[in-house]
Amino acid sequence: MNFELIGELIRLRYKLLWARTRTRNGRIALFIAGYLILVLVLLLLGAGGLGAGMVAVQSGKAQKVADIVLGSLFLEMMLATVIMGFGLNAMFSDTELRRYPVGAMERWVTRHLVALVDPFWFLGFVLEIGLVVGLYVVGAGSLGIGLVAVLLLFVANYLAARVFGVFVDRMMQHKIGSLVLMAAIFGVALGAGQIPHILKHNPAAGAEAARFLRYTPPLGAAAAITQSGFEAAAGLAIVVCWLVALAAALVALERRPAHRQKLPSTRISFDSIYERVGGWFGAEDAPLVALWLRFYARNTRFRMHVLLALPILGFLVYAFGKPRNDVHSLFIAALGAFPVATFLATARFSVNQFGYVGGAFRRYFLLPIDARAALRTGSYASMLAGGPLIVVAAIAWAVLAPGPFDGRMLFMLVASGIAGLLTLNGLGLWTSILGPRRGNYNQNLGNDLSLAGNIVLIGGGIVCLSAPHVLARIMPALVSPKYWWLAIMPAALALLFYVFSLRATGTLFRQRREQLMAVVEGRG
Amino acid sequence: MDALRISNLVKKYGTVVAVDDLSLAVPTGSMFGFLGPNGSGKSTTIGCLTGLLDPTAGRIEILGQPFDANSAGLKRRMGVMPETLGLFEPLYAHEFLAFVGRMFGLDEARTRTRVSELLQALELTDSSKTLSEYSTGMRKRVAFAAAVIHSPEVLFLDEPFESIDPAGVALLKQWLRRFTEQGRTVFITSHVLETVERLCDAVAIITRPGKLVWQGDISVLAHDGAIQFDGQEFRALEPLFLHLTGERYADLNWL
Repeated sequence: MNFELIGELIRLRYKLLWARTRTRNGRIALFIAGYLILVLVLLLLGAGGLGAGMVAVQSGKAQKVADIVLGSLFLEMMLATVIMGFGLNAMFSDTELRRYPVGAMERWVTRHLVALVDPFWFLGFVLEIGLVVGLYVVGAGSLGIGLVAVLLLFVANYLAARVFGVFVDRMMQHKIGSLVLMAAIFGVALGAGQIPHILKHNPAAGAEAARFLRYTPPLGAAAAITQSGFEAAAGLAIVVCWLVALAAALVALERRPAHRQKLPSTRISFDSIYERVGGWFGAEDAPLVALWLRFYARNTRFRMHVLLALPILGFLVYAFGKPRNDVHSLFIAALGAFPVATFLATARFSVNQFGYVGGAFRRYFLLPIDARAALRTGSYASMLAGGPLIVVAAIAWAVLAPGPFDGRMLFMLVASGIAGLLTLNGLGLWTSILGPRRGNYNQNLGNDLSLAGNIVLIGGGIVCLSAPHVLARIMPALVSPKYWWLAIMPAALALLFYVFSLRATGTLFRQRREQLMAVVEGRG
Repeated sequence: MDALRISNLVKKYGTVVAVDDLSLAVPTGSMFGFLGPNGSGKSTTIGCLTGLLDPTAGRIEILGQPFDANSAGLKRRMGVMPETLGLFEPLYAHEFLAFVGRMFGLDEARTRTRVSELLQALELTDSSKTLSEYSTGMRKRVAFAAAVIHSPEVLFLDEPFESIDPAGVALLKQWLRRFTEQGRTVFITSHVLETVERLCDAVAIITRPGKLVWQGDISVLAHDGAIQFDGQEFRALEPLFLHLTGERYADLNWL
């Protein structure tokens, strides 16, 4: 194994990252990211890990606290990786690495080491170290074994996330993959909801589950940190076994040849669904809308997200609507969840419209059209793809919501969905122009958005979900079905914002086309 | 009449000058070669001529009309094969060509016929692959088809022959000759000097940073004639190009 060359390649990865900071946007992103990471590290190390260690000892339940902290961290890192795509994109591909004189095993090690040293994974690692240090300071754990345990856990966590990610990715390449995934999510969501009920009626099941969980990596590491002698060694052995098994699973999964979905070839058609829908926007924009719709429809990740949008909407309503047997609390949660669901499937494209077209970007300026049409038709397509979810979600609400049917609630939910759709797509126009980033159209997992894109996506989601709850506290009339007609106001304001954004960004688009071209073609 | 007239064209990126006071005229019906070493500003010039880039200064006239990035009417009369090809990768070749045909104002029947004919002629009949799955040569053929589908009066081709097999190159040359015989104009950049020498009537040679160093008729070379320049006689385009752009020698013992 040529570790010197592997080290050089890892350094190259960071040199490339550093090279991005030569641009103004890159420097701003670096400053914000660096500042946030520093603050987070201090918070995690200080308040999180150390605090948890102290609490663990003071409560006399060191292992239990360590179990909970490490277990939830393990799960959260996995979910953040697979759902949000953090920590998955900082990676050379095997094809890229083939140009260097490194063997298959060295390429594998390089790829995963490069991904493992992503700042995202370090945040989790810092919290785990904080816990070990906290336990050591108060005399409830060994520093040496603890550090080894969390180091192994950290690698196992990464491997587990990667195995899960590759598994989902491979599944998505099959025709029924999205449906299977949707069924699995439904199953997990419904199953998780039943856990308290099962435990209440069968306490022995809880004990049995806890015994089983002892053989998982985070609880193995917790035992290694808080116990001594044989129990600590057994805990370490569990983590090592998982590590080996996960590495083997990852190698096996990655070796399986990728199966690309073959879309049916079509004859030259001027009457496809895309053209017909595009036709709603007039003769000039119709071919462009049809083009964008094809662009959306042929993307595996988009199709997956469309299918997942409704289950996620259900989950958000269920998770944020408390108490759950009260229709009003569910309604408040649904008011926030509707806009999020309509934006979820299209978000990646609508906040970075041109980031995935590559060299085709310049085609828009070679066509005998007003180039602004490329921007507005992309946005129309995004809304055409996200908008129908409002109807589906409204039907789902009408059928599944507890209590008698209330048309006023339905009206408010639809208005909220429309307001969210227009506002978030309006913001997407701005980020597409001001914060573009070159992405990979075929990438099924990973977060490849710019800082601005992430702010709209994550920030927009947080604002949408929390706003109805805040309003319910401070101005309950605004979210009350009694004043249902007030819901027109945010939708109308959103429409104004969207129209304004279309006009303003259209002009900006023409002015900034050279910078955009450089970014989306990978030169800036 | 000149199909293309460039007067004092300047393009700067910040303080970096990419094209420096370039003036050029391309006669209608000619096959015009635009040559220069890497980084000399050829693609930047084509970018300005086709509306991709805004010139910092200067004037461009195409088919007798002033041209800028918003000249939609003129763009309808131009065909462009850009350096990066500009293909929408998730589409099939026939979908992409039909899209381009429609955008350039072809009616349904004519688009259908032309797409079929182009796909047949360029051997792009494998309809099971999207553009992202095509080889570089096939992608280049698609980009060429997209540039000519609407029968433009002026055709801009940026490195059209790279990656295309010899049979494909021969076909393109044949088409381009017929194209100019019909009184249309081709503006072409290429590093394959032998091809340019055989194909073009006239060339312009620029050097870094986008400075015109020579422009003239090269048709004499095809009839065993010679070009006189700087008191020297050049019987092929390559020695003239190297003379103008600076021949370089580097002695690497280990190579």
